[in-house]
Amino acid sequence: MTTGFNRRRFLASTGAVAGGLAFLGPRRLMAQEGGTLRFALSTFPPTFDAWTSGGTAAGTIKLMIHRGLVSYGPDGMLRGELAESWEVDDEGAWVFRLRDATWHDGSPVTAEDVAWTVAEVQKPDSAAYMQGQLARITSVETPDEKTVRMITAEPLAVLPGWFAHYHMPILKKGEAPDTKIGSGPFMLDRIDRGVSISLKAYDGYYKEGLPKLAGIEATVYADENLRVAALEAGDVDLVEYVPWQAMAQIDENENLRLDAVDGPFMYLTFNGSRAPFDNPLVRRAVAHAIKREDIVQAAFFGRGGALEHLPIAEQSEFFNPDLANSWNYDPEKAMALLAEAGYPDGFDCVMLATAQYGMHQSTAEVCQAYLSMVGINATLDLPEWATRVKKGNEGQFDLAVMGTTADNNDPDGLGNVLDGSLPANFSRSYGLETPEISELFAKGRATFDNAERKAIYKQLEEVAIETTPIAGLAWRSQGYGMKASVSGFSNMPGQLTFYSGITLEETLLG
Amino acid sequence: MLRYIAYRTLVALFLVWIVVTAVFLLLHLIPGDPAELLLSQGGIAADPEAVAALREKMGLNAPLWQQYIAHMGGFLSGDFGESFRDGTPVIGQIALRLPRTLEVIAGAALLATIFGVPLGTYAAIRADGKADALISLLSSVALSTPVFVVGSVVILIFAQELKILPAGGFVPFSQNPLEHLKLLLLPAGTVAIALWAVITRMSRASVLEVLQRDYVRTARAKGLGRSRILRRHVVRNALIPVLTVLGLEMGTLIGGTVLVEFVFNWPGLSGYLVAAVDARDYPEVVGIVMTISVLFVFLNLVVDVVNALLDPRISLVKS
Repeated sequence: MTTGFNRRRFLASTGAVAGGLAFLGPRRLMAQEGGTLRFALSTFPPTFDAWTSGGTAAGTIKLMIHRGLVSYGPDGMLRGELAESWEVDDEGAWVFRLRDATWHDGSPVTAEDVAWTVAEVQKPDSAAYMQGQLARITSVETPDEKTVRMITAEPLAVLPGWFAHYHMPILKKGEAPDTKIGSGPFMLDRIDRGVSISLKAYDGYYKEGLPKLAGIEATVYADENLRVAALEAGDVDLVEYVPWQAMAQIDENENLRLDAVDGPFMYLTFNGSRAPFDNPLVRRAVAHAIKREDIVQAAFFGRGGALEHLPIAEQSEFFNPDLANSWNYDPEKAMALLAEAGYPDGFDCVMLATAQYGMHQSTAEVCQAYLSMVGINATLDLPEWATRVKKGNEGQFDLAVMGTTADNNDPDGLGNVLDGSLPANFSRSYGLETPEISELFAKGRATFDNAERKAIYKQLEEVAIETTPIAGLAWRSQGYGMKASVSGFSNMPGQLTFYSGITLEETLLG
Repeated sequence: MLRYIAYRTLVALFLVWIVVTAVFLLLHLIPGDPAELLLSQGGIAADPEAVAALREKMGLNAPLWQQYIAHMGGFLSGDFGESFRDGTPVIGQIALRLPRTLEVIAGAALLATIFGVPLGTYAAIRADGKADALISLLSSVALSTPVFVVGSVVILIFAQELKILPAGGFVPFSQNPLEHLKLLLLPAGTVAIALWAVITRMSRASVLEVLQRDYVRTARAKGLGRSRILRRHVVRNALIPVLTVLGLEMGTLIGGTVLVEFVFNWPGLSGYLVAAVDARDYPEVVGIVMTISVLFVFLNLVVDVVNALLDPRISLVKS
């Protein structure tokens, strides 16, 4: 059958349509516009409340807009921000002396603002991340405009570190927690909810000559593969959370640079409220039963390292080399410990993780395989994240895979995952008392002498190795990828990796 | 006819109510606490007091029936409530994001129709020939390749290798129309591929059927030109079932562009829904689902009414 609709006509009509798409042309090069950094965020901040824990992407945005009393330098040591110096006075109170800094509306940052911030965060209903810590400050005095004196019931060596946290910026007195007014290097310009955040440089920033960028355009790329594709295609200059499988390809690309550190870590938590994991021998058996290198390979494409002790990084002054392999892979020892605990034939249990994040699931699968070799038959429970959090908080598991970072490189930051005297939470073991460890944490907080503190945390690690309130599994690499032309941005060491946003003030394009 | 439309509308409203109620109840049934989730981002231990304070602020401590009545009352007065996460009015966010999703769907439908109808028709008139086999093969491949695979491949080709299109993202049309269209092209094109396959197959089958009709034979017998028969009598009549299928497919796509929006970072309604469910942001989830179900039911209603208008027998039978 022949009709008027022949091949030639067909090609002509579809060709016309295709021709209509030719407006695309070669891709327009995006102008840098005086150095606006295009930053790919992994997720949109769920909240702009400055003191609320809204995750690491929110933390990075806060580090652009806000500043705390202190922060961390690239070497990982505390350095002054709004405070230029701090010390303990003769009466044991912390005294911060403020520098001349201004808010984004031009008014000066005063001691009053600091006192007000502390009072707001301390309120029981503040929902602030540091509420619990700051509640230990019994009163705040402001002897003059530039001096703040914080009085605590007992001596607290770690207090300045609290004010370095990205969830603990100082806000202007009377402002709402989600205020746009900060004292940081960048000012909020425009928010397109769920999509992007535009910031421009604040010319009154207290550090001479900073920030070097004219602005930042932070766009959310939730899909990790797209984030990498956008970097490779030149759509963005800097990306956070580089997926492990893409690290090698960024490393090999001469136009791009990868900056990765081992900071966050994976570990197992236990349900200590019931048998068999109420028995420290069983928990220690688990710690000896798993070959960590396989987790690093399976879950992190080799980007990370085995963690056979407490998550204290090798670079930390609190690292104890003689304890570094205390939970080494030793299946015979694991079986001996199980036999000693009264489980020579092993047992059945439920291991909680989540299918929502591949790294949690892969870690759980490797653990499951190794545990079965010593007779522990773990059934995996892999709900989505929200359910996993709920079950973790309510103790609906026997053992669980977890991943997080400590608050900072000070071992006190490990209280979050170790201290059994804190309320039940999915980041810690459930119903597991750790009286000795809780006591050592308290002692460490109250001790100012560094050598003494080291001894205390060493003792704490020894107790933890013995009683195994958690079992360390693996460090995982946390990477930023950027164009080779981006300078000044650096990934902060160890647990401080999520503070890296602070270096954006030094960042320069081209 | 009016009676028929009124009846269909009532059924539609009832369906929307059922869907919204079911979603509301299901959300409260599944584990996960919005306050706890918000405060424990990044695996951080949330302070129980802070969680309790936030729950109170979110109104989660009221009995379920009170929360339900508050929700429903809000809907009736056009107030969808505020996001748990940052207090943004839900209705405003939906108004912002729905057009973006509709844009992708409309773009996809346009592309799919432009390429699907001629190709389907061509395959039909060359039935069992080489061209037909090729088109059949292509549409089978298009239909069976998951959308995230297509998405990843087109990003690789057009953004990473050829570098003629951005990998993904969004710029408002008002800000930069050209950039907006460029960004729209890959997601719309990706959705269009599966839709194209459906339309091509539907067009082919439909044209084949019409070609066998008596009136086509009559037209041919009275000496009408072949191209005229095809345009006037065949394609026109063959398009009716194609349009019905297109309408229904578009309805399904309103809540079904999740993967495309995710892969291309297109901030539409589907991606918004997933983020809301992950965060257990009840007002957002219920608001979005309500919007999607209203649209879906409405599209079905339109299809039904249009069919009834085209073929009066339908309304007679059903009413």
